[in-house]
Amino acid sequence: MKKRVVSILVMGLILVPFLCGGVFAKTLRIGSMSPLTGRYASDGTDIKNGVLTAIAVFEEAGGIPGFDKIELFAQDTACDPRQAVASANKLINLEVAGVVGAYCSSSTIPASDVLAEEDIIMITPASTNEKVTDRGLPYMFRMCGRDDDQAPAAAKFIKESLEAKTMFIVDDKTTYSQGLADSVAKSAESMGIKILAHEHVNQGDKDFSAILTMAKKANADVFYMSLQGFSPAAMMMLQAKRLGMKSQIVTQDAVFQPKFMEVAKDAAEGVCLTYGFTDPSTPEYKAFEERYVPKYGKIAAYATYAYDAATSLLKSIKAAGTTDPAKVKAELMKLDFQGVAKHVKFAANGDSGSSYIAFKVVDGKFVPYWEPVNGLIK
Amino acid sequence: MEYFIQQLINGLTLGGMYALIALGYTMVYGVIQLINFAHGEFFAAGGYVGAIALGYFSGLGYMETHPILCLTGAFVLAMGYCAYLAIGVEKVAYKPLRKNSRLAALLSALGMSIFLSNGMMLTRGVYDAVYPSELFQGGFDFGMITISYLQITIVSLTAALLIGLNILVFKTKVGMAMRATAQDKTMSALVAIGSNRIISLTFAIGAGLAAAAGIMYGLYYGSVKYDMGFVPGIKAFAAAVLGGIGNITGAMIGGLIIGMVEIFGAGYLSGEYKDVFAFIILIGVLYFKPTGIMGENIDDTRV
Repeated sequence: MKKRVVSILVMGLILVPFLCGGVFAKTLRIGSMSPLTGRYASDGTDIKNGVLTAIAVFEEAGGIPGFDKIELFAQDTACDPRQAVASANKLINLEVAGVVGAYCSSSTIPASDVLAEEDIIMITPASTNEKVTDRGLPYMFRMCGRDDDQAPAAAKFIKESLEAKTMFIVDDKTTYSQGLADSVAKSAESMGIKILAHEHVNQGDKDFSAILTMAKKANADVFYMSLQGFSPAAMMMLQAKRLGMKSQIVTQDAVFQPKFMEVAKDAAEGVCLTYGFTDPSTPEYKAFEERYVPKYGKIAAYATYAYDAATSLLKSIKAAGTTDPAKVKAELMKLDFQGVAKHVKFAANGDSGSSYIAFKVVDGKFVPYWEPVNGLIK
Repeated sequence: MEYFIQQLINGLTLGGMYALIALGYTMVYGVIQLINFAHGEFFAAGGYVGAIALGYFSGLGYMETHPILCLTGAFVLAMGYCAYLAIGVEKVAYKPLRKNSRLAALLSALGMSIFLSNGMMLTRGVYDAVYPSELFQGGFDFGMITISYLQITIVSLTAALLIGLNILVFKTKVGMAMRATAQDKTMSALVAIGSNRIISLTFAIGAGLAAAAGIMYGLYYGSVKYDMGFVPGIKAFAAAVLGGIGNITGAMIGGLIIGMVEIFGAGYLSGEYKDVFAFIILIGVLYFKPTGIMGENIDDTRV
């Protein structure tokens, strides 16, 4: 009998922190989903850091009325669809007001299905696959561009600026990389470029010598490399240089990471890639840079998009004065401001527009090189 | 023909790298019949130490003036560190379980592997650790065929280590003690062989080899990452089994075969199925010759 009383008391004590939490403090809970471990941990960490920066900026500016503080629950998806669904469920249990994420399109799509059932707003800073917003989920938004905008831009660049006639394509079979490679192949073929081969490698491969030897033999004008993440891309570049490949190398947005040049060094020189244009000379970008760089280091591909996504979410919650998803969505649709990465204005389907241009690596920097309307950038 | 030769060179390099890692697996298995799944992590740790050491030397400016000396220093540091790490891991995770079932030690090895790779992620960060500059830049260029100095270094160093290891095992007193311990721990202890010391030594040598492979891997691919040990670890394990686990020459041959099959599979058939081909070969060999190509030496020649 005594034992039972003690155990009930202990159980009660365990519950105390949970009960108190709701009574004493009102916290705005925000979720983020990105790979914090595994192969794409670096990009995922950039996303988390971007969101944390946005929260810090908001808290400094006085926070959101009605809430004592804003707390981020950063979930690790490991770029694995199953883990992404589990993270989404966890965020639902935490009753978050909105989610920034995920990174891999293959994680974003199933996770957004789960979040949609609970009417939780999700803004992806990095998933470019068309399906993310084409499924018509009411609370799915996208900060970055779309593959079906990127692919024609890339094909147009290859055709007009590089004047290529033949192309060799490699992808690593992820939803993102293969989807993009297929779209590029289709657009390029319709412009009269001949696809000599479309080869695949495996995720996690480090040795590409066999495929590169094949590409060197094919000697296409353009070698289109569609890989998820900068790290395998940098390794592929090093090996291509060592093999003496002469094709012009064109790649895509996942490679837009300053670390790419650090790893690939000289081999990165002259590589072209398509990426959404961000103007680093705007005051918004400069302010972000001042805040982000001392704490987290160089600004990478998705930190700015994650920052804009989190800022949009927090702004809308503040304007709505509630976390009710319908009201927050109404505010999100009204947003029209200059963000760090781009001008934020959502279309009805949740997209915020693409701004793909081609960059070229010159002296270890990504330099804007070509844009679809006016051609070469001087 | 040129295409074939180029792929052959690619296969030899990759195979050499697998073989170096497989040597460690096979040595440890030979002595205590433990599949050390943390072996791939020693390989990654060696790569990291190499990156740190070379980065430090290059920061001091010695890299341009004494490249060979710097590289030797990096190898010594990485191999020493990994040998030390392996002895520690053995003492903590495997030795207390030596009397338990083999499954316990195997699980402990798996746990150690996860622990070490996450430890590296937490301490060294999620980004790639970059090798300062490409040493042995350049190579021979015969039109279609390119052989880089690095590829020659990898293959020749692998061969040298194999010869050295064979001499150690079959021609020295320590080697004899190793073979005796492999055959019967209790009996060898009765004739005054410190079997614990021998086991530690085997772990140290195996991890040292893995560290050497880690540095070469870093030099060849330009960077190292905390999770890089897993896939090559599995491939090297397959190579060791393919050659006949416990057999040094077998590990070497197995490594070369896995590397070749991967490269030729990717080069002639399809890049996405290269791992499938490699493991089909493994399954095939095990089906028809369960002891592996060179056979497991049950008698006194096993390490």
